[in-house]
Parts: sequence; structure tokens; C-alpha cells
Amino acid sequence: MSNTIDTTQVKLTPKDFASGQDVRWCPGCGDYSILAQVQRVLPELGIPKEQIIWISGIGCSSRFPYYMGTYGFHTIHGRAAAIATGVKVSRPELSVWVATGDGDMMSIGGNHFIHTCRKNVDLKILLFNNRIYGLTKGQYSPTSEVGLISKSTPYGSVDYPFNPLSLALGSGATFVARAADNDPKHMQEMIKRAAEHKGTAFLEILQNCVIFNDGAYDAITGKENRTDKMLYLKHNQPMTFGKDNSKGIKLDGFKPVVIDLNDGVHSANDCWIHDETDHDAARSFILAHMTDHPELPVPFGVVRQEYKTTYDQAVSNQIAAVTEKRGKGDLQKILRGGNTWEIA
Amino acid sequence: MKELKLMKGNEALAEAAIRCGCDAYFGYPITPQSEVLEYLSMEAHSRTGMLVLQAESEVAAINMIYGAAGTGKKVMTTSSSPGISLMQEGISYIACAELPCVLANVVRGGPGLGTIQPSQGDYFQAVKGGGHGDYKLIVLAPSTVQEMVDFVKLAFNLAFKWRNPVMILTDGALGQMMEKVELFPQEERTFEPLPWATTGKPKSRERNFITSLHMQADAMEEINRHLQAKYKKIEEEETMFEEYMCDDAEYILTAYGLVARICQKAAQLAREKGIKVGVFRPKTVFPFPTGQLAKLAGKVKGILDVEMNAGQMVEDVRLAVNGKIPVEFHGRMGGVIPSPEEVLHKLEEKFVGGKA
Ligand code: SF4
Repeated sequence: MSNTIDTTQVKLTPKDFASGQDVRWCPGCGDYSILAQVQRVLPELGIPKEQIIWISGIGCSSRFPYYMGTYGFHTIHGRAAAIATGVKVSRPELSVWVATGDGDMMSIGGNHFIHTCRKNVDLKILLFNNRIYGLTKGQYSPTSEVGLISKSTPYGSVDYPFNPLSLALGSGATFVARAADNDPKHMQEMIKRAAEHKGTAFLEILQNCVIFNDGAYDAITGKENRTDKMLYLKHNQPMTFGKDNSKGIKLDGFKPVVIDLNDGVHSANDCWIHDETDHDAARSFILAHMTDHPELPVPFGVVRQEYKTTYDQAVSNQIAAVTEKRGKGDLQKILRGGNTWEIA
Repeated sequence: MKELKLMKGNEALAEAAIRCGCDAYFGYPITPQSEVLEYLSMEAHSRTGMLVLQAESEVAAINMIYGAAGTGKKVMTTSSSPGISLMQEGISYIACAELPCVLANVVRGGPGLGTIQPSQGDYFQAVKGGGHGDYKLIVLAPSTVQEMVDFVKLAFNLAFKWRNPVMILTDGALGQMMEKVELFPQEERTFEPLPWATTGKPKSRERNFITSLHMQADAMEEINRHLQAKYKKIEEEETMFEEYMCDDAEYILTAYGLVARICQKAAQLAREKGIKVGVFRPKTVFPFPTGQLAKLAGKVKGILDVEMNAGQMVEDVRLAVNGKIPVEFHGRMGGVIPSPEEVLHKLEEKFVGGKA
């Protein structure tokens, strides 16, 4: 099995990546933006459509493969990552994508998610995080804020949410990034980066569910707040944000603090320089956990990227090595071999 | 004074659980029964202090049930077909450990993700095991929203009487259907420490230890014998059924749940045409009313079994009838509900004008 994706030049357009099926999300749903950005980015990758597969579990997000003009697989609630692993190790030459949501992947699929990341299976996982169960009409999810009033928590939820980036980092994902449904340009860039990564690429997309959790991210990505609350990470660049990049993030020991770059005391030189490939993962976790502190902006972009042999590659390598060492299997030899029992 | 209310089947399940003094509910959203979780989340806390927990999956929910049932409390979960499939491992363990709990399956069309429309495709799963090993659930099949209420109460009684999981096998139509129901009065939540539950070790007995693992084959066979003897007694004592216009019937329609009501209508239509048709409805599908159906089979010319599946209960009907008379089958699948006219037409085709 060849492990490389055939990128013989094919000129495709976003239209080629539409399936022609009626898109049936609620009007105004953030999922539309994700679909549009994916369809815009995929033609740029030069991968033939028939070498791309989109796999999903169950949920609003999981309708995604219906709308893509690629191979599709609408599977079992929470199991998309395991099914995608099966696809990838069987056909390593395919570009395998998973569309999932916070209910699907963080709740029932949590186990498969962490093990996929741990194994570094070469999958692109797009998490549409709307912090609610949309398809079953509005129950709280494992990324819902404490106190969320939902159909299943009418008096407020009492348990703590997952931090998806931190979970992905902790599980060993080799590409961890965040985008927002209302910043299409940046999302396109992130999708492209995820596509180019070899290994488990995890992209969290903050997605607004207009029906059951409208405005969940207004405090971060809303028009009035975004300049002060969105921190765009750029590799090897100082972390700056705010109007005219007037503010920065300084790392004070392990504590990120906001500094004013116009106060005459601080300058961009004082800022934390973002390093996607930081050898110390602790700093990646600090970035992921900036959401815990309301006084800090929320990082968007690639939090971490590292290169390790992928699981599918390692498996292929091992098969090749063992075959070379032991020779090709011979069924007759095995049948006549010593490992037999006689039943008295 | 009677307390009458217009309720959806799913709400009726939830309301009945609260009134039974149920201690805890563990569930996970799935259509068409998320209303049970939602109704309980809204109502249960303040009325009885009952605990309602949304688990991270159905697998988690059934294992929370396993744990909570082990403490001797009254516990319940509900789901719909794919979710119930996920619970099968836990159900097998709970059955072997002989813990009481109430489960409801609001069945939808399958296999796989299927549809969200009503179905009876999970009969085999509910009645013949579902999980691994030789175990039985007590399976109640309501055909009205009123029975959704009554069977919850019955289910808790049976679960504790027999220390066995009890399943209410219903479907998406009954779950969503609104009907007038008479509610029983609120029962108090009481807790008696049960001798088998994890309630500490008094001097008078050995410690309780819940397990379904027994390394020696003969010990495991003993457990199995004990379970089988229990199931046999359940068959003797708990079988429930309903006969509708069976006294003078020449043909019988067999059906459970919602389909039995459609068959009753079909029987009325048949009688208008001068064909004497009755309906035999098992209310418990395990234990199945084998003896009663066998008796009836001696008095009629033929049976048409009607189900919303490819033919599942019909196997139990045939076992009961044991070849005495012809048993034909009519089924709709994937979430399609048969109409009374269609049932009558099939009956005429198979029997009256047909071969038998
Ligand atoms: S319910 Fe919410 S997430 Fe689902 S399609 Fe509608 S807006 Fe989108």
C-alpha cells in the first residue's frame, strides 16, 4: 500500500466539492460557514475528489458528509474517529476527514477521540463546537458552561466543561488549532494547515447554534468584543491583539498577563513569542487554558504542531519489516506446523 | 377523586416514575424519547428530590444504573433502539447480578441509525436476550398511554419482586402520542436497606459482593440454574395478556403494543363484513402467554400475526400454536405503521378467500 496521496494536478473548484444535496441546517447556523470554507479550501489542495473521504457520527455537524462531493460515511454516534481509523489504516492513500460536534466527539465519542489522538492516526478532525445538543433539540453538552439552562438542565448545569484544545493536547494530538465560524478567512487558513499536517489534526471551530444556544460566543467573537477578545496566534510572532495591536501577552513565569504596548513601558519585545513547535508542551497548555481566565483574550490559530510517525505509517512500516524478516506467509506451512492440539 | 391528564407517552413514563417514588434516572438524549429526560429534569427534583442525570453516553447511563441499582434504590433509564443496543452489555451483567431496575425502549425503525419513526424491530433483542448469555428481562408491552403509566409502577414492583431488570417495550408513536390518562397518587420515596444491596455489613450476615464473574464452570452453571428456575417461576406467575372478541372468533390476530389497537380496529371492520375475528394481545412478551394462546389456537381456524417488523413475535406465536393451525404473518418495517384496512385485507387474502 502506498502511503502518499496522489496529488497529480487536478483543477477543481468549490462547486466540485458540493454534493448537490439540499443543505438542511437551520437558517443562520454556523455550520454553513464551515461547509463553505471547506469547499473553498479543498480545491486548493490538489487532491482528487475520489481520494478524499468525509466521515461523521451523529449530530447536526454530522450531516456534513451529505453535502460534500467526496466519498462520505455517516456513521454511529461518537464512533467517527474509530471508523475513520479503520478507513485510514486500510487505505492509507486517502485523505480522511472527520466532521463532528461537541456532543458526538466530546461526550459519547470521548474515548475514541483520545485514543485517535494518542495513536496519531493521520486524520483531520473538525470539531463544530456549539456547546449544545442541536439534533436532539437542546440538551447541554460536555462543553456547555457551568450553569447553562437547557432542556435537560432547566435549573442550570452543574458539571464542568471540557476544554477541547487541552483535551486534544493531553491526548497527544500533533496538530491542535482553533477557528471561529464568523472569521471565514482565518478558518480557511486553519483548514488548509490541518490538511497539510501529517498525523492527527484537531481543529476546534467555535460554531453558533442559532436555535438552541444562540450567542454562545458573542463575548469572544461578537462584533464589539472580537478586537479585544480574539488573539490570533502567528508562528514566531509576538502575541499581540486589541485595536491597532495595542496590547500584548507577556509570559510571567507560567502566567500569561496582558500588557499595554502604548504605556511607554512595554513593547512588542516583551511579548510572548508564539512557537507552534515549542518543545515544552506546558506552554501549549497555557495557551489552551487562557479561556479559563476572563481577563485574557482567547487564542485562535495553531496552538501546537509537531511531527511524529503516524499510526498508519507505523503499522505499514511494521508489516513491511516483519514480512521482510520472516518472508511471505505460507498457509500450508502454518497448517502443518507444530501448534496443534488433539482433543481426547 | 380521579386525577386525569392529557399526556404524551414519553411524559407519562416520566410522570409515573416520579409518582412511583423512583430515586434516580440516568439517560442520554435520543429521538424519539428525549422528552423523558427533559420532563424529569424539569419536574423530578422539586417534587420528590429524585436525581436526574444526563450521562455522557448510553453506555455510561446503563452502568450508572448498574451502580445505583446495587445500592438498592429504585432506578430507571429510557432510550430508543440504537441507545438500547449500546446498553446490552450492562443489561446482561445486571441480569446476572440480579439487580432490579426499570428500562424503557421507545423503539424506532432500524437496523442501524434507521429512522425516528415507530417500530417493533427490537422484539428479539428485548425478549430473547439482547446481550450475551442466558438471561431474561421481564418485558412489558403497553398499547396505550394509560398503560405507559400503569406499567412503570408494575415494572418497579416486578423488578424488586424478582430482582430482575424489567423493560417497557414501547415505540416512537406511543411515546409521542397524546392521550388522556388517569394518574395514581404520589407514592413516598422510601428506602429499606435490602439484604442484597451495598448497605454495609451487619454482624448477622456475610458481606454483600456484587459480581457476575464465577471462574468455575460448575459454579457458573449453578448460577444459571438458579436464574432459569427464577425465569420459569416468572412465566408461571407473571404472564399477562388481553383477549378482544375472541370468544366466538374464527380467526385471531396476534399483536402487541400499538399494533394490537390497529388490529382491534381491523377486527371490528372484519365483523362488519361478517368475518368473526378476535385479537390476542400479550401484555407481557416475556413471559409470553404461550399456554393461553395454545388454548385459543384449539378453537380457531387460523392466526394472522401483525407486527411493525419483519416477523419476530410470530416465532413465539408459532411455538405456542405448535403447528395446530396455520399462522401467517404481516409486517411493516422501517417505521411504517400498518392500517386496519391493510390488516383486514391481509387476513382475507391469507384465510377467508385464500388458501386456508
Ligand atoms: S439546531 Fe443549531 S446546530 Fe443544529 S442546524 Fe440548527 S442552528 Fe445548527
